[in-house]
Amino acid sequence: MSFSPSRWSGCVTVNRVRVIYQLARADFLERVRRYSFLVTLGFTLYFGYLGATGRIVLQLDKYRGAHNAAYIGGFMAYVTSIFLSLAGFYIVKNSLDRDRRTRVGQILAATPMARISYCAGKSLSNFAVLLAMVTVMAVAAVAMYFLVGDHSGFHVLPLLSPFFFLTVPAIAVVSALALVFETNGVLRGGLGNVVYFFLWNGLLLLGVVQFFTQTPHPFLDWTGGFTLDASLAAAAKAAYPGAVIMGFSLTVGSLQDAALHIFQWNGFQWTSEILLSRLFWLSIAVGVTLLAAALFDRFDPARGTPLLQNPFAAPLANEVADSTRTPIETFSAARLVPAAQRFRFGTMVAAEVKLMLKGQRWWWYVVALGLIIAELAVPVAVRGQILIFAWIWPLLLWSAMGTRETRMETSALIFSSPRTSARQLPAAWLAGVFVAMVTGSGCAIRFLLAGDTGQLFAWLVAALLIPSLALALGVWSGSSKLFEIVYLLLWYIGPLHAVAQLDFMGVTPAAIAAGIPKFYLAATIVLMVIALAGRKRQLRT
Amino acid sequence: MQLRIDKVSKQYGRSVWGLRDFTLEVGSGVLGLLGPNGAGKSTLMRILATVTGPTSGNVSWNGTDILREPDSVRAVLGYLPQDFGVYPHLNAMEFLDYLAAVKGLDTKPARRRIEELLVMVNLSEVRKRPLGGYSGGMKQRLGIAQALLNDPQLLIVDEPTAGLDPEERVRFRNLLSELSGDRMVILSTHIVSDIEAVATDIAIIAGGILVAHAPPENLLHTVEGKTWEWTLSSSELPEAKQRFLVSSTARRADGVQVRVIAEVQPAANAISVAPTLEDAYLKCLSAHRAGAAA
Repeated sequence: MSFSPSRWSGCVTVNRVRVIYQLARADFLERVRRYSFLVTLGFTLYFGYLGATGRIVLQLDKYRGAHNAAYIGGFMAYVTSIFLSLAGFYIVKNSLDRDRRTRVGQILAATPMARISYCAGKSLSNFAVLLAMVTVMAVAAVAMYFLVGDHSGFHVLPLLSPFFFLTVPAIAVVSALALVFETNGVLRGGLGNVVYFFLWNGLLLLGVVQFFTQTPHPFLDWTGGFTLDASLAAAAKAAYPGAVIMGFSLTVGSLQDAALHIFQWNGFQWTSEILLSRLFWLSIAVGVTLLAAALFDRFDPARGTPLLQNPFAAPLANEVADSTRTPIETFSAARLVPAAQRFRFGTMVAAEVKLMLKGQRWWWYVVALGLIIAELAVPVAVRGQILIFAWIWPLLLWSAMGTRETRMETSALIFSSPRTSARQLPAAWLAGVFVAMVTGSGCAIRFLLAGDTGQLFAWLVAALLIPSLALALGVWSGSSKLFEIVYLLLWYIGPLHAVAQLDFMGVTPAAIAAGIPKFYLAATIVLMVIALAGRKRQLRT
Repeated sequence: MQLRIDKVSKQYGRSVWGLRDFTLEVGSGVLGLLGPNGAGKSTLMRILATVTGPTSGNVSWNGTDILREPDSVRAVLGYLPQDFGVYPHLNAMEFLDYLAAVKGLDTKPARRRIEELLVMVNLSEVRKRPLGGYSGGMKQRLGIAQALLNDPQLLIVDEPTAGLDPEERVRFRNLLSELSGDRMVILSTHIVSDIEAVATDIAIIAGGILVAHAPPENLLHTVEGKTWEWTLSSSELPEAKQRFLVSSTARRADGVQVRVIAEVQPAANAISVAPTLEDAYLKCLSAHRAGAAA
């Protein structure tokens, strides 16, 4: 057998569709065979169970639709759209990261594969993962009809079409957005996770605006949820002339809706405007995927922003010339200074603080300092608001806690050292507490000067709670993402929107009055126990 | 100084065994752990370094069960894993400072030792540069430095010369020889020449099973008078490969010089040559595979 270069060049002229399919397939299989996918699917199943048993209720003030097939389909598709538009992003935003970390990207980069093929394959894989979850929720919708439905007739199309027309375009956009975030050096990491949270909020607000202005505009409705809300509101007003519907809410709890007025909603009229709007969002997904292809660096570490890009890409980007050479005979292990065992916890904490802060840019410190000064200087009425922002600023420092050893592959070095659980873990926790205390120090000084022990106690509890949450979630998930999402949600709903029960910082008077900080102190202890158990598990395995 | 590994097994999933009933006793000196890829060397290294636990069996260090009391060995352990990462924003000094704190070392002597270790592994000139910019070989040398931070009694090094250039390999071999006098070094590799240079004892592992454990000279004795070399034509080579255990081949102007291990003279013009550790290793593996197949 002879080797012919011309035959070989013919072989590498690969079919682009096949490349996209194989990329998507391999990525999808790699994901679904991971334990974490089962956990995510399990969570989706639980979410579906909540819906199917009527524990999630969509209310339009004092009204809700009768549980016929159309309403159940529309409602479940709505819940799925909202859930996956946020959680779905964080679930699938790891496709390129995996290829970087496993170094498969280096192999792929050396193939004739086009950037557009790669991005299309990855976007399709993201979409397939989310579609699996949509399927679970669609099955749950069918179950819901038989469990809590009004048995007015099982109509497949009204039940399932909202999933197809509303949810599927929404997850296509999420899939593409996750990809474009991963192709950008700045948005690839934790900062991107934060940015997306606010982007998601902004895009949802576009829909909310149409609800309140009573001018439905499906082209602004990414998730399709507000198109549904508008249609439901029209049906409620038709059933109850004079009904004033000022808002809508999704409530998680048992189905105790005796006080609610029931109206009939027989499903969407899939008008050309609605269908075109859903096609519009599908085309947005395609456009965003194309944008990702344009931004994709093809795993070339020389492209991107060195100090913000994934640290795993850094070694190749700035490789130091190894020009140092000394003669072979110039060293001797026997001449080394003897090592002496003398553990000092303070040294360990200082090392953890240094590790935590290392790599931060100068402007990070400037903003942190500015926030501390603002805490000291602003009027009492807005002091709490400043603290809220001072304690979102170090989010990415905290989110690295408990995950650094896994992410940076140093666990074998750290975990083979003596008493890691008793020494390194508490030191890492104290480093996180230190960051919280310093960034919130302006408020603490004012609480002290004012003799406001209640506020000071709440402040202290929050400073202890945040690193405990970060450590517990980080150690168990192995990823910084979970803390970033959970903390952002907690921060957004609790302190920022003044929901007293979730105000772990105690910035709302109602939270202090209700003694909420005591509960968070208990939560801190529980979280530390969880973190410790997680670290012990890591050491065992 | 004694490390005792007693019937250690490690099972992955239902049917994959990383190690099976592995038993070995090690004293001071350099134990070279040889085996093909996937033999279970790294699994054994991780168990000995207390990074992972076995499915069954016991490991003791100077009589103390390290599975129950891992800190008894961690305090005197230096471990260089096969794959490890670094914190890319730290420089070499900061990284070693951090690990010295984790290992519970006294700050001042540790700092002086770090300076000296960096000179020793040839990184002193780049000690202030972020590790994110280090090449693979430089990271490997940093790994060697961190393994020696606490002046370990037990030094476990897994494929330590991977990524090192020939000069650095020689330096590292010399270092291991120097260190082995009053401590225990376990060196895992599939590069026979690394072991040949420094090992005082050799364990050969294949398929998670201990195939042989002996000093190098005893292993060499198994192929004494059984190693042959002769030159044949290229067309005869495939047949020779089928009939004999070929240790190496080299192109010559008059054909191909083959080196085989055989009980009797394989060809009329074959001459008996001095065996190497590689010949002994190949024979050992071949015998193990034949036994397993039977």
